[in-house]
Amino acid sequence: MSRSRFDNLLSTSIASVRVVLRKAFRSLVVFCGASAVFAGCAKNAPQDTWQPKGPNSKIIDDLQQPVFAVAGIIGLIVAVTVIYTLIKYRDRGQPIPEQTHGKPALEITLTIIPALILAVVAVFTFGAIFKLAKTDDTEMIINVTGQQWWWEYDYPVQNEFGITQPIITSGQLVMPVGTKVLLRETSRDVIHSYWIPALNGKRDAVPGRVQTLRLEADEPGIFAGQCTEFCGLSHANMRMEAVALSKEDFAKWVANQQAPYVSPAKDTLAKQGEEVFLNQCVRCHQVNGLVRADGTPAIAAPDENVWSGAAPNLSHLMSRNTFAGAMFDLLSKQCRDEVWNAPSDVVGAKYLAGVTEECLNQKDLRAWLRNAPEVKPMYANPANLAVSNGKYRGMPYLALSEDDINKLVAYLVTLK
Amino acid sequence: MAIIERPAPTVPAIVTPTSTYGLLKRPVSTTGWRSWVFTVDHKKLGIMYGVTAMFFFIVGGIEALLIRLQLAAPNGKVLNADLYNQMFTMHATTMVFLFVMPMAAAFANYFVPLQIGARDVAFPRLNAFGFWALLFGGIFLNLAWFLGGAADGGWFMYAPNSGPVFSPTHGVDFWALGLQIAGIASLTGAINLIITVLNMRAPGMSLMKMPIFTWMITVVQFLLLFAVPVITVALFLLSFQRNFGARFFDVAAGADPLLWQHLFWIFGHPEVYILILPSFGIVSEVLPVFSRKPLFGYPFVVFSGAAIGFVGWGVWAHHMFASGLGPVSVAVFSLTTMAIAVPTGVKIINWTLTMWGGKLWFTTSMKFAIGLIVLFTVGGLSGVTHAVAPSDTQQTDTYYIVAHFHYVLFGGAVLGIFSGFYYWWPKVFGKMLNEKIGSWNFWLMVIGLNLTFGPMHILGLQGQPRRMYQWTEARAGEGFFNLAFWNLVASIGSFVLSIGILMFLINVLVTYRNPAKAPLDPWNARSLEWMTTNPPKEHNFDVIPTVHHLDDFFHQKYEEDATTHTMTQVRTAEEIMAEQERNADKHIHMPSPSYWPIVLAFGLPVITFGLIYSHLISVVGGVIVLFAAYGWALESSTAPDSDFESNTPGSGLDKVGANHD
Repeated sequence: MSRSRFDNLLSTSIASVRVVLRKAFRSLVVFCGASAVFAGCAKNAPQDTWQPKGPNSKIIDDLQQPVFAVAGIIGLIVAVTVIYTLIKYRDRGQPIPEQTHGKPALEITLTIIPALILAVVAVFTFGAIFKLAKTDDTEMIINVTGQQWWWEYDYPVQNEFGITQPIITSGQLVMPVGTKVLLRETSRDVIHSYWIPALNGKRDAVPGRVQTLRLEADEPGIFAGQCTEFCGLSHANMRMEAVALSKEDFAKWVANQQAPYVSPAKDTLAKQGEEVFLNQCVRCHQVNGLVRADGTPAIAAPDENVWSGAAPNLSHLMSRNTFAGAMFDLLSKQCRDEVWNAPSDVVGAKYLAGVTEECLNQKDLRAWLRNAPEVKPMYANPANLAVSNGKYRGMPYLALSEDDINKLVAYLVTLK
Repeated sequence: MAIIERPAPTVPAIVTPTSTYGLLKRPVSTTGWRSWVFTVDHKKLGIMYGVTAMFFFIVGGIEALLIRLQLAAPNGKVLNADLYNQMFTMHATTMVFLFVMPMAAAFANYFVPLQIGARDVAFPRLNAFGFWALLFGGIFLNLAWFLGGAADGGWFMYAPNSGPVFSPTHGVDFWALGLQIAGIASLTGAINLIITVLNMRAPGMSLMKMPIFTWMITVVQFLLLFAVPVITVALFLLSFQRNFGARFFDVAAGADPLLWQHLFWIFGHPEVYILILPSFGIVSEVLPVFSRKPLFGYPFVVFSGAAIGFVGWGVWAHHMFASGLGPVSVAVFSLTTMAIAVPTGVKIINWTLTMWGGKLWFTTSMKFAIGLIVLFTVGGLSGVTHAVAPSDTQQTDTYYIVAHFHYVLFGGAVLGIFSGFYYWWPKVFGKMLNEKIGSWNFWLMVIGLNLTFGPMHILGLQGQPRRMYQWTEARAGEGFFNLAFWNLVASIGSFVLSIGILMFLINVLVTYRNPAKAPLDPWNARSLEWMTTNPPKEHNFDVIPTVHHLDDFFHQKYEEDATTHTMTQVRTAEEIMAEQERNADKHIHMPSPSYWPIVLAFGLPVITFGLIYSHLISVVGGVIVLFAAYGWALESSTAPDSDFESNTPGSGLDKVGANHD
């Protein structure tokens, strides 16, 4: 029997049992309103697992709320029974009790009851597992690649979304709302795990494998997540954000990502910054359309310098709100709050405004350029790279002068 | 070597050999450090296991405190990322392999022979070897701290992050090889105890009359017997990858890193039951004693333990629900994981019903046992939420999981161990632990552990991942469930918990300095280990008891009125003891101490040290092992003066090799 037929058989048999049980389950869901009150206590909790913002996380939430409630009730029953027993049968001078060895009928009953409860839970669990694994009605594909310690997003050509040439970005996953997006995950070094709690559970990004995870957002907004599979030194700093834009806004974002490169005007600080970039950064970081002074295209070769063979593509850097594996914000605190706290009907416009010079988080960006391994732990000490054939894991210390940093910042801010 | 009893000669006399001749003779010291280092006595080894485990408990606890200090506030600066990763890796490794497992071995070594009415284990020298291998393995594991850094890949050591490129220090080498040595200890211990239990029970003790603690230990030994080889294979693959250039987990060479995960968790999940079942056994002894009732549904508890032992092999992939197994596998492992909740729930029900209708005596030991029932239930129920695989994809690798397994392992395994401390302390050391300090010990630990691990449920459900050396305020949220507040609470809780454990150490000291001796049967206990002196004589029993009942000792003391079912005391423990001493076997032969277990065990870390630094050292280690193996094989089977076969009646050489009182 083929695997998909087995899946079908399983899911139809589940469906029939489910009809019978649904009503009982629904009433439980009502009961669980109480637990929703708890969820309400978590204000502005960016990674709350009890506040689903899309259909996939909703499937999980609908399943887990009643399970939590049942577990809570059983826990309470056990606790109350134990406490009652302790009070009732404490030693008050009663004689040594009859040495009864048990009542099999009672035991069997008390074994069957939890087994039945779990059987009911299992039926709904099965249903959810197969619903979440569904991929055949996917509307959009984004390739997601993890490496120490950042995520790369690669949008293959999809003309129906205006993506006529591949888009490569990092840090923030931008997606249209109400669209069934399929992430195809893999990794270039160790195992990472992709997790946006508001949109779905986790899926590991395993080197040598491509694994899928479906995301769909109901409304525009920015949803936080973190790498959840321990991936080495800066695991704690490997963050990500999913940005859901309305379909119109998403089209604008796509158009901007595909806009041609604009070199800074001659004799500006930014133009000097471009030179610094060509001397230093382009060894690893690609900026699409960037050409050298002699007119040849500048092609980054991160595979010669970095163990994972990749470094973030910095084209249109200022259209993102974060850098360094989403560890730092490109936006200053105030500007970031304005975007993050915007209501869902204007968040798209705010996000598309990108990072202006006034809003740029100069402090963290400069600290990063000054000495990246100091602000984010990485394997970047040239003395300790014998085991990786001299290749870095993460960005090394580049010994840039303050002058160069000024120029670079001026240049980077032009990458709209 | 087995215990040999010989027919009674005509003239009883006592001779303790005082000298030893040459290398292949056996040591004879009955006092001083030699009596410990060369001992093969299961009771001494049990104490040595216990002391070692307690030491590593403190080491692992200090690691835990450093972790909680680091996470008390955002952007913690107590540890850097590298040190933090080493810290949580070694905290878990230490607590699992060097505290809970050896502590279970301590209880098992000490009490299984006593509970089954035996005078030692089946292979006393192997038993000694197991202890020394564990100790040397544990020391070897921790040597890495001083030689460039400890292992930093997490106790699960997922490939490829454990590979030479991603973990360039020798930490992972020390980890893999150290666990290999500790694994040898577990394996020899398992074989030894299984054979002891199957072959050396007192006459009349059928398997279904065996004390429940011994039953649970037996299940655990079978789990070890089959689980340790799996991790051994996995660790060999890892060591070969790191030290000999093999490419088992190298994706570029076509490997699938999930291979490691499957191997690790096929070991790792039975390991969870290896950690918890001994404590289940302990509280299943303690609850009946302090309820004055037999264990409710003894066969159910036995068979649910055995069922856990079987089903425990079919649930490993629930650690991998996010790793991309595909929906069919996920559904199957979801179901098996729910299935294993049933036999576990049966135990909770049986313990509660054991107390129901009883005459409860709230000693410290009893309090810890009751604490286990309630707190393990919390961990068990949060475990059921992981069985719901879609729900687990939200919870896995968050603090919710950390909360879950600490309720299971601290609320379960550790409280059970402490219950055992208070219950059996008079048996082992002849003195009662102070009940007043014990009460402080219990309450501070219970409050501390709830303060520490309770908030972690909230942290996890609020999306705080595990294994992060820092957390940031940007993701902490606001309101009642904000991460900042609950992280701080957890950190404060960890210090309360530490004070609770400190109370125990204080109690040990106070008890040590208190001259008062424990009564013979302080708890009015039920099983055979109480049918001997406190502490037991070296040969355990003057006469091997014949067993007629489950809880035979209790039934020797009490008789049931056939009509009213009331129990009347007919004899005291002292009377039973006196009767035993009157009828004492005249000729008890105990196994002689041996030099070779410690020497053989010492060779192992020398070999592994050489694998990391220079193969020449390994050769030296190999020579030590071979030399010790020859010594082991060729040494005389008893101490030199005990010319056992040629003994003639009246020569006065009929009670040897033991310290007689």
